[in-house]
Amino acid sequence: MRNILYLIQKEFRQIFRLKANLVIIFVMPFIQLVILGFAITTDVKNISTMYVDMDRSQLSRKIIRTVSSGEFFTIKGSTDQTEAAVKKMDSGKIKLAIVIPQHFENNVLSGETPEIQAIVDGVDGNTAGIALGYLTQIFKQLQRNMTMAIPSAQPRHIIETQTRMLYNPNLDSVYNIVPGIMVMLLTMITVFLASINIVREKEIGTLEQLLVTPIKGRELIVGKIIPFAIMGFVMLNVGMLAAGLIFGIWMKGNLLLLYVISVLFMLSTLGVGIFISTIATNQQQAMFYAWFFSIFAILLSGFFIPIENMPPWVQIVTYLDPLKYFMDVIRGIYLKGSGVSDLVPEIISLSLYGSTMLSLAIIRFHKRMS
Amino acid sequence: MKSLLLSIIKKEFFHILRDPQTLLIIIIMPIAMIFLYGYAITLEMRNIPTIVSDLSKTPESRLFVKKLVSSNFFEVELNHIDESSIDKVFRRREAKCIIVIPKDYSTGIVDSPVTYLQVIIDASDPNGAKLISNYVNNIVNQSNLEMNLGNSAPFTIQPRFLYNPDLKSANYFVPGLVAVILLLISALLTSLAIVREKEKGTMEQVLVSPINPIQIIIGKLIPYLILGFIDGLIILFAGVFWFNVPVNGSLLLLLLMMLLYIFNGLSLGLLISTIAQTQQLAMMMALMGTMLPTFLLSGFMFPIESMPILFQWLSKIIPASHFVQIIRGIMLKGVGIPELISQISFLTLLSLVLIIVSIKKFRVNLDA
Repeated sequence: MRNILYLIQKEFRQIFRLKANLVIIFVMPFIQLVILGFAITTDVKNISTMYVDMDRSQLSRKIIRTVSSGEFFTIKGSTDQTEAAVKKMDSGKIKLAIVIPQHFENNVLSGETPEIQAIVDGVDGNTAGIALGYLTQIFKQLQRNMTMAIPSAQPRHIIETQTRMLYNPNLDSVYNIVPGIMVMLLTMITVFLASINIVREKEIGTLEQLLVTPIKGRELIVGKIIPFAIMGFVMLNVGMLAAGLIFGIWMKGNLLLLYVISVLFMLSTLGVGIFISTIATNQQQAMFYAWFFSIFAILLSGFFIPIENMPPWVQIVTYLDPLKYFMDVIRGIYLKGSGVSDLVPEIISLSLYGSTMLSLAIIRFHKRMS
Repeated sequence: MKSLLLSIIKKEFFHILRDPQTLLIIIIMPIAMIFLYGYAITLEMRNIPTIVSDLSKTPESRLFVKKLVSSNFFEVELNHIDESSIDKVFRRREAKCIIVIPKDYSTGIVDSPVTYLQVIIDASDPNGAKLISNYVNNIVNQSNLEMNLGNSAPFTIQPRFLYNPDLKSANYFVPGLVAVILLLISALLTSLAIVREKEKGTMEQVLVSPINPIQIIIGKLIPYLILGFIDGLIILFAGVFWFNVPVNGSLLLLLLMMLLYIFNGLSLGLLISTIAQTQQLAMMMALMGTMLPTFLLSGFMFPIESMPILFQWLSKIIPASHFVQIIRGIMLKGVGIPELISQISFLTLLSLVLIIVSIKKFRVNLDA
């Protein structure tokens, strides 16, 4: 026990000696939150739009006015020819062109149902779909006002949806991102720093020096794990504080529950970190492996892309990802105020995962050392 | 002169080949990335877990449920949910969307002009929530159209999707992925090239020899340029033949641009390598300086137009955002140099600046 305390003390002295480490713990959460929180908006707005008005009537002008009001579309000029608009789209200047044909107003008045053409840059399918959705909504509203003004022989029946968005009524992307960043921060600290740290001691040869002292291998591992777990823990709190201060997002659920589950989570990522340190022979390799792990683990955690969207075989792979469970937990506690009873399967999976991963890594580490 | 440069290149090559584990990672990582990312990134939702609470229980309401089911977007479970248990359903993630068909649904359809349908969505994932709401509205619009056949709309919209008519996700993401992977790999490759020798002390040995800094820098770049280009060819090959992303423009131009872009990433890594004092610091700088910005601000996944104006400016100085436009332009739009001239000149300029600054920095380090 005394030995472990000494080791922890040594580790912390080393950590604090390098200023960069302190920057990583206390500044990185802020930077990541600011960059990710502001940059990741899956909202689609300010779509660069050009209109081709071949009709030049009162009605066509009214349509363009309606489209350009609101924050969805930014009008980037007009032209008389469809080809000119397509050229602009080729060079990436616009994403949408609205073509109103000749005699449009006259045809509407005589009941001929003319067509408005919406030319959409389909490269980004998601944005294209959403842009078309906005346009359709605006046009539906216009059509509704127009038909309601004309008396009709047949009665109209319309179903309307009353939509309620729970937990995040304004659909701010930040709400989804903030808990995700906590997961990322914890992963970075525990996987990257832990694996590179151990490999570095191997490279310099100080690990061997420790092994010839009366410290047992078990104690050595615990002494390595605890400082990084504490660092991760501090970083989590800095991150939560930053999220509250910058975005005003505070946790809804129980703080203690989050603490307990993050310890469970760190067991598995520390396990991965130690495991990497046993297969890597130099720091560059350790970094590549750590990077390799995080880049896939983050993708499969459902941070950016909801897991339900993925093809079935990828969904099965996500069950191997400890980040997936923790992501569900932290989003639940943070946004919905979920309690223990809501998170039973995740807690069980994380405990199982953590204990197996860590013991496997430790066994391998022992074998390597002896 | 020539032979000196050649021997530096040779030495660096030997260094790469001596560490087969790293070499293997460098080849396998991009392949694994393009496959897993290529498959996993789809922004279209399917099988949305949905609970329909049908309080009306009439032929009309059942018809609506049938429409939901047959759309393939929803995985419908019929269940009675009262107001107080909505929260519990979402917290346990049993459903993402709850649709309540009111008691007076079918009488409303016959008697009153407007009938309301309640849709409750778990918006903790806002993008998903928006898509779900869009899908429900599409189905409702369809029903409205069918119920009001006598009243045709005054005009219609005819959408035409250019470049990617089927709106295939892979067509959007695969070229972007090539851009992201190449920059990450190339910056990581060279970020350690000089700092490693600084740490080990071998740099001083090189310095006492009659080689000038330009030769050292160029000599270190060329082997990695070849390695990066091989990586680029592999993932491009996977993108074209596995994910069926077309190359509508000139393949030669695309390959040239790829070379320019890899050179850009390598110079960025070299610059980091001349600045950083330890390998650990260099790695952290390379990761932070390339991973976050390329992932977030390149327009590879998140539309740049929707970001705050400061980030839109930032995205303009990132090489990846320019290459994303170049590669999408060539592969999907089939455009050539005239349309891409501003992006191409930016990348060329940036490469020159980066390489000159790293040679300068390297010289300063020598004198110190």
